[in-house]
Formats: sequence, C-alpha cells, structure tokens
Amino acid sequence: MAADLAEIERMIADALPGASVSVTDETGTGDHLRATVAAPQFEGLARIAQHRLVKAAVKERFDDGTIHALSVRTELPG
Amino acid sequence: MADVELKQKVEELIAGNPVLLFMKGTPETPRCGFSMRVVQVLDTMDVEYGAVDVLPALQPLREVTAEISDWQTFPQLYVNGELLGGADIVEEMFDSGELAEALGVEQPEAAPAPEVAPAQSPPLQIE
Repeated sequence: MAADLAEIERMIADALPGASVSVTDETGTGDHLRATVAAPQFEGLARIAQHRLVKAAVKERFDDGTIHALSVRTELPG
Repeated sequence: MADVELKQKVEELIAGNPVLLFMKGTPETPRCGFSMRVVQVLDTMDVEYGAVDVLPALQPLREVTAEISDWQTFPQLYVNGELLGGADIVEEMFDSGELAEALGVEQPEAAPAPEVAPAQSPPLQIE
C-alpha cells in the first residue's frame, strides 16, 4: 500500500510543533520517501538525533510496512 | 531482545575501531546503493576504517543496533564509539565539512566519486 504523503507530513509536523515539513515520493512506488524537515527542536542536536526525531514520528508507518525507506534531510528553521 | 553475545561482540568492535562501518556487502563489493555511497565518501577521506558485512546476520544485528544506538537500518558509520549516521547524514556531513572534522582529517579537495544509482543490478565486480 502506498503511503499517504500528506499523512506522513502531518505525523512529522505533529511530533515537531513549529516544523516545516515536505515529503516526496522518491521512486514513484509510494514506499521510498524523502522528508525535508526544518524544526526548532533540532537546535543543538547532532544530526543523528535530529533524524531519530523524524523517524520516530513515522515509526508506525514503518512498523505496518507502509514505508520501506525514508531519506531524511534536516535543517534548522531559517 | 537482542542476542547478548552478539551485542557484546558488536560493542567490542565499536570500541576497538575508531572508524567502523556496518554495511551491506564489503567495501570492494557493496550490496546496496546506500552502503556504496558511504564507502565512496570514506574512500575520498584519508582515513582507515573497519567494515562489517551485516548481511549474514541482518535481523540479529538490527536488534543489536536498535538497543545500542536506537538505529535499525544499515549502513551505520561509527566514529569514536558514537553512531554518526547512515548514508544521508554521512553525505550531508561530508558536504558541510563536518565529517572531516569528526574524523580528524583534512577535507579532500576532490569531490567523491560520482554517485552510482542504487540500481537493482548486481554490484560491479572488479577483479
């Protein structure tokens, strides 16, 4: 089942209030996604910790098999 | 619950290798596009690194690294005992110069080898 990109965006945005989130389908198959996230919560965190926050937000969709891969790019809000 | 002996072995490897890559395949024959990308970045840096092929014990190793570093996907690059990240983070940190800093080496002048598409085809064999 292909992921609902808007739902994935919402899950990340809900977990990181104030974040700007963009999720795209990398392969056209709906299960390899790319998320670009700018969140105030990233301040002072190592990149790995920033990525953990994003992945944790969508863990449910990994666990149920909707998403197979999620590339993440994190930045601080500009 | 991860296998206790395997976890101990992994912890020893991480402690014993300042730069350690858990990857699918080997640096000579990566079996996954993401692992290949990290190898390509590391190969442009003047640094020695250890590499562990996770494929023979993929699921047990996922369970171990989930406990050690809260991370289940491979590749994983550890520097001085800490998980730095997977392919995305390694490339981002390479681009920004943070990787060279973390590794304690000079940022190479040349860009890493052009990215090879993570295609479904088998890895190149160079004999």
